[in-house]
Amino acid sequence: MFAVFRINVTGLFALVAAALFLSGCQTESQTFVDDAGARESAFDWRVPASVPLPYEPDDNPMTEEKFQLGRHLFYDARLSVNGEISCSSCHEQARAFSDGVQHPLGATGEVHPRNSQSLTNAAYFNNLTWGNPALATIEQQVMLPLFGESPIEHGINESNFEQVLMSIQADETYLRLYAAAFPEQEEPLLGELAWDNSVKAIASFVRGMTSFDSAFDRGEMSESAKRGEALFNSERLECFHCHDGYNFSDATIDRGVTFLEPLFHNTGLYNIDGMGAYPDPNTGRHEVTGNPDHMGQFRTPSLRNVAVTAPYNHDGSVATLEDVIRNYAAGGRVIASGENAGDGRISPYKDGVLVSFQITDAEVSDLVAFLESLTDDAFLTDPRFSNPWRAD
Amino acid sequence: MKITMIPAKRLASAAGVSLVLALPSQVYAHYIPAEGEPTQVHGTVMTTWRSASPVDQYEFWQIPGAFMGGDAWPVSQGVSLDEVSVTAAKRLDENTFVKLGVSTHDGSDGHQSVGIEHASIGFVCCDVKGPWVVDVGRMSAAFSPELLAHRSTSKFTEPSLIADVFFGRHFHDQGIRIWLHETAGWSAGAEIWQGKAFPATDGTDGGAWDAFARYSFSVGSVEANIGAWHYRAQASSRADHRYGGGHQHTPVAAPGEQAVQFPDVRYTCDLDLTGVHAGASVGVGKSARVGIKGAWAQLNMEGILHDSGSREADVTADQYAVWVQPYLTLNKHTIALRAERFVADNTLTGAAAETLGEGAGALSEEGHTPERFTAAWLYQWRPQVQFRTEYISDQTFADGQNRYAVGVVWQGSFFNSVSSD
Repeated sequence: MFAVFRINVTGLFALVAAALFLSGCQTESQTFVDDAGARESAFDWRVPASVPLPYEPDDNPMTEEKFQLGRHLFYDARLSVNGEISCSSCHEQARAFSDGVQHPLGATGEVHPRNSQSLTNAAYFNNLTWGNPALATIEQQVMLPLFGESPIEHGINESNFEQVLMSIQADETYLRLYAAAFPEQEEPLLGELAWDNSVKAIASFVRGMTSFDSAFDRGEMSESAKRGEALFNSERLECFHCHDGYNFSDATIDRGVTFLEPLFHNTGLYNIDGMGAYPDPNTGRHEVTGNPDHMGQFRTPSLRNVAVTAPYNHDGSVATLEDVIRNYAAGGRVIASGENAGDGRISPYKDGVLVSFQITDAEVSDLVAFLESLTDDAFLTDPRFSNPWRAD
Repeated sequence: MKITMIPAKRLASAAGVSLVLALPSQVYAHYIPAEGEPTQVHGTVMTTWRSASPVDQYEFWQIPGAFMGGDAWPVSQGVSLDEVSVTAAKRLDENTFVKLGVSTHDGSDGHQSVGIEHASIGFVCCDVKGPWVVDVGRMSAAFSPELLAHRSTSKFTEPSLIADVFFGRHFHDQGIRIWLHETAGWSAGAEIWQGKAFPATDGTDGGAWDAFARYSFSVGSVEANIGAWHYRAQASSRADHRYGGGHQHTPVAAPGEQAVQFPDVRYTCDLDLTGVHAGASVGVGKSARVGIKGAWAQLNMEGILHDSGSREADVTADQYAVWVQPYLTLNKHTIALRAERFVADNTLTGAAAETLGEGAGALSEEGHTPERFTAAWLYQWRPQVQFRTEYISDQTFADGQNRYAVGVVWQGSFFNSVSSD
């Protein structure tokens, strides 16, 4: 009897052993990760390991030299028709590169219909500006304020661009910076190449404005901010649906994302004709596409440093974060009188995720405390992003 | 010398009183009610106190390197109602029988849901007991003993790593099974599944099938069994439904606590699972039995990880889990040991590999291989009531944990009705 048992049991374990052997068993757990170069860059992005790197355009890879050249150009008022404004005129570092006014003025005094956006983490947006789905790169966006005519911002055009360029070429600092930024070119500050290089350099500086060192990132939030975070992520408020991810925007793209459909939302700010219309020319995505369904749709801004970028919304028509929250709580904004009077709550184009909710004053304070915890003070004062001409 | 092939039902009863508890679930999972037999309604209640949970309240239980899901919830600290089930079986006529069964399933934050585990009709071919049987409907899988055993019928209060990691603890799906049922010690067959049970998904790009064979025999006081199975599944955008898979939001944490939103990484993949299992026991004297059981399962998976943000990464995985379980039964007492090991060999490729791998829990901990050791003492107080104590050395995470469990199991029939047929 035992002989048979021995044979059977021996056979049983032999089968198990053979199966283990045939499986080519790894004896210890391991996971091999090949990120296909997603963390490789010639540029020091200064982002934590938990945050993916942004894309770099193939025709404008990031370098420190281009970043520094772009920084000089960004703060240089000579890059305008009359030497009156620079990029920094509407994008101040202390305000997370926004400007604190409802509508900025161009070099010739023309009023811009849109509020200046913060440039915080601009590298991570899949489209630039408030409502243009066609603007997918910072290089494309930089062209608008420099050369745009509606509205006029820097005011550079065919009649004055040579004069503007000459003022740049005359500065030895620039001769050195352009040579360092574009070492493969013999004359990087000559002719059309100079403008192409200038745009690439400014874009590199803006692309390098990364900000991930807030109290939220460091886990140093106040108790009020923690309560606000819970509200932010709650089903009642639903804030996180559009302001999601590490950049608090659903328009965030990075090297790990293969494709991101441009997302725009109508938040029920206006309804001037009872049919959902927004006041011209600020009709958002509709302004570009002409599609009625795109009326009042704007890209979700990042909430990083949002506490220092008042006033809010695409036209700067909301003064405080508290007011922004109360508009969302109401499910839209009601304007009782004036040319923009209307009930945004019943706009047919309002995004479906925007439903009204009840919120107490204390909860509004907590939510604001959370939004304030997203302020990266180091970013607002970092000499790396400051005006180099002032230092010189 | 005589070798006897034994059916599972007799195998259980032959093992003595300690296996009384092991009988009913096995019976009701895949046994065929005999013609003229009264309708059986069987119930189980299992409750356990544990000294700790492997994860904190707002953490997600993702064993490093594993692709988890289904109902593989972490055990809870304190008292938990691990299992409540009611199962009925009835022979309708010479060739037809039906089974119905409901059972609780663990849920988030200690909440449980009740699900239908069995709602099937069976057809016996060629004789009143088979040998050929066709089952159609919702049922538990027959290909692996790992999946037909509830915790109440196991010697341990926690499911094996094979069950939790590879099958999400339970396997109940709609499908059809054709099998040779306990004939001369053999059971063998094939099952085709709709794909609602983890790790498959249903739909045109989902589904699963399996094939299995096992053999039981006895030689004198020695009883033994051996089996092997293969399972193949397709999954399309498979979610970890424990925490994700639907509308996502961050859990509401208690004041002072931090909770984060589940990453909800999905799998679209083809996967093959192969397993072998075996057991042998020998009676010692009139009241003792000593035995050993073991199982090994191998996963091969190829596909992509992805999320709602258009992130993708290719994934290939060769993983296996194994357990060995010696035990000794003496009168009403059973002492059992279980050693388990899970080994993952994963490769993630793509720009989002790190992010998705971390979100999915697919990254192994550097230099650590998940293991778990359990020692249990079971006392059969009454024929239908069993007390359990357990010590678990849980090394599935690098910062391991020791925990203890004390529990009680009741299993029995509510009534046996006299057949009206």
